Amino acid sequence: MALGFSMILGVSRSLNLAHGDLVVLGGYVGYSLWAAAGLSPVLLLPVAALALAPAALVWDWLLKRTPEPKELSSLVLTFGLSLLLQTVMRAIWRGEYRLIAESSLGASLQLGTLALNRGRVLAAVAALAVVGLLWLALTRTRWGQAVRATSIDPQAAALVGINVDGARRSTFLLALGLSGATGVLFATLHYVHPAAGVELTLMAIVLSIWAGVGHLRSVLAAGLLLGMIEALTVTGWGPGWREPVVALMLLGSLLARSGGLARGHAH
Amino acid sequence: MPILEGRGVSVAFGGLSALRGVDVAIEEREVVGLLGPNGSGKSTLFNVLGGLLRPTSGEVWFRGQRITGGPPWVAGRLGIGRTFQIPRPFAGLSVLDSVLVGVTFRTRHRYRRAADRRAEAERLLGLVGLADKAGARAAALSLGEMKRLELAVALSSRPALLLLDELASGLSPKGREEVVLFYARLRERGMTIFAVEHSFGLLAQVADRMLVLDQGQIVVDGPPPAVLASPRVAAAYLGEEER
Amino acid sequence: MRSGLAALLGMGVLAAVPPALGFHPYYLFLLSTAFLLAAVASAWNLLAYAGPISFGHAAFFGLGAYGAALASLGGLSPWGAIALGGLAGAAGAAGVGLLSIRLRGAYLALGTLACAELLRGLALIWSEVTGGGAGLAGIPALPVLPWLPRVLTEGRAGAYYLALALLGAALGLFALIRRSRVGLAFAALREEEERASLLGLRPLPWTLLAFALSGLVTALCGGLYAHVVRVVEPDLVFSRHYSILPLVMATFGGLHTLLGPAAAAIALYLLSELVLHPLLPALHQVGYALALIAVILYLPGGLAGLRRGGRRAHP
Repeated sequence: MALGFSMILGVSRSLNLAHGDLVVLGGYVGYSLWAAAGLSPVLLLPVAALALAPAALVWDWLLKRTPEPKELSSLVLTFGLSLLLQTVMRAIWRGEYRLIAESSLGASLQLGTLALNRGRVLAAVAALAVVGLLWLALTRTRWGQAVRATSIDPQAAALVGINVDGARRSTFLLALGLSGATGVLFATLHYVHPAAGVELTLMAIVLSIWAGVGHLRSVLAAGLLLGMIEALTVTGWGPGWREPVVALMLLGSLLARSGGLARGHAH
Repeated sequence: MPILEGRGVSVAFGGLSALRGVDVAIEEREVVGLLGPNGSGKSTLFNVLGGLLRPTSGEVWFRGQRITGGPPWVAGRLGIGRTFQIPRPFAGLSVLDSVLVGVTFRTRHRYRRAADRRAEAERLLGLVGLADKAGARAAALSLGEMKRLELAVALSSRPALLLLDELASGLSPKGREEVVLFYARLRERGMTIFAVEHSFGLLAQVADRMLVLDQGQIVVDGPPPAVLASPRVAAAYLGEEER
Repeated sequence: MRSGLAALLGMGVLAAVPPALGFHPYYLFLLSTAFLLAAVASAWNLLAYAGPISFGHAAFFGLGAYGAALASLGGLSPWGAIALGGLAGAAGAAGVGLLSIRLRGAYLALGTLACAELLRGLALIWSEVTGGGAGLAGIPALPVLPWLPRVLTEGRAGAYYLALALLGAALGLFALIRRSRVGLAFAALREEEERASLLGLRPLPWTLLAFALSGLVTALCGGLYAHVVRVVEPDLVFSRHYSILPLVMATFGGLHTLLGPAAAAIALYLLSELVLHPLLPALHQVGYALALIAVILYLPGGLAGLRRGGRRAHP
């Protein structure tokens, strides 16, 4: 999930505060399709990803038009978008807690002495596969080169003939597609509700700060670390502590990394 | 004792060294010019001397106090004023308010009555010829007017030393003549000035002494005629003079 | 400036009329909520006047509400309790302001958001003091002031006038600051912080002052709210709405202007509750979101204060 956030920040210098809400939206879309058509969760992943494509185009269009300074304006703009999404989702799904409770996912997988929940295994495998594919795409393809160049210096990239707008648009499509798919995975593991997005956004920001913008392998490592901290918090102190701990981590990482990410973008 | 002294100032950005062990000393009431080709480290030196940038090594002393690496308000309160090569106005404020900031919050010769502060700000605007623009937004000024505002803002804190960064660059020949007059007027008032200008000719008219910076080091130091005669200047400046 | 004050006074007189005309209590309640939001939006604008864009005013509103509720339940008179809540909000806001030592712009905004989320989470967990998710109930109502005519203080009318007075005080404070040396320092630091420091202005104390004043007004609103609604819950008073709405309203009304944020707050809130709510009951909040998006994209003038550092004159 943080991958998408980090890519958008890299390519368009925009902080997407509605990121978590998009993930939640993906979760709800997945849930509705699952409940209505009984699609298997594996099929739901690409469908939910595609479902967010229109949103990606809207985000790209809006964020391209935000005035300088990009970071702050985009923050304000996506704060508004986040409110919009939450309201709309609350209106459609009535603010209920939904879970994709596919029975096949609940079964446990026997691996030697380890008993693993199939849903979690699916989520982990899918996440690894996505990161792997993305890494290949970014390093080995012309498209990846274009995206990386755009993120380093859009003007120079445009000068050497790279279609900067195209690179931006495809990044948004991909990033929001990732959010949609993440949403489905999320919905198989946790209940989704309209207000869940903010916490997810905060986590995505924490991850991006830890990993540095656009470094795929460190995002993975940071994701594991964050997941472990979260799990320890919940089992050690109870679920109520999750939100304050995430907020505290965000504060801590902002302050600790203000020499890097924050300072670098502050001007 | 010099009013401002930089001792062994070095600055490195990543692996690139912008300044390499620069020693400068400015005496009270002296007007010193700083020359050097683009990228020789002039603005970096100004940022270090004005407390905006912490040098990698070396020290900055102002009237016997060490001010190395800021914070900037300390340099400002002690009596260093500066202008920026690319003007940095208080864009949303009026021209009068821009000058009032320094007049209101300075530590020396502070006026207690608002009317006195306003009169002082208007006097400063008159000095640089912006009296009729007092009500305009600072961001709406032309480049020439903005340069004058830079000077008025720098003067508003009543500094003992002015760091002037390319006051004349980008101006018309008439504007440059006015800048020469400003320098003369400031010198008459006993101001100590350390100035970067792109034009040797302009600096030679106003400076007591000139320094030439090349590749992060001071290569020449002396009165204008001696500097002009120096072969190092010709080498450093080949094709750069009088853009 | 003088005409602004005159307009303020005129509106104050006009606003004093509805209760006397015997408006339905529901409308009085709507209007008093609008005034409270307008006061919060003005407080937010006061901070923005000094530079920082806050995404976390819910923290100060909630601190004021909880501080006042706890003090009131502890036996303090409601007036003293609201004042105490205000001080708690001011102190909390100054604490958040310390983030400005290391964070700027968008990252400071994220920091304020994190602070608000942190406080909301803590209010949910720390149930011995805050009552957890259920909140605190049974907060005493505001006493009727004996020296005022009953028609002005009875029922909803009392809350109405108090909210109006608070809004007046918030606007008066901002008007005073804008005319004073404090306002000059705020504006200079907002426009070009480094330049202002070179003139001898030390940024931190001024930024903390702006945070504290803004937090004070916001927390007073929270304290008043707690005594009008007489219940506080984390999701009610630490709601993200108190972070989002002032930002929307102040940007829509015109950053750094005296009356814009308050006027926009009243207009947007009433529009949302009286027009959008009956039409689209579930979607009426959409209006705020659309207003914000429109302002960012199409009214750069309304966002002048957000464009710090963007403009530089090029020779």
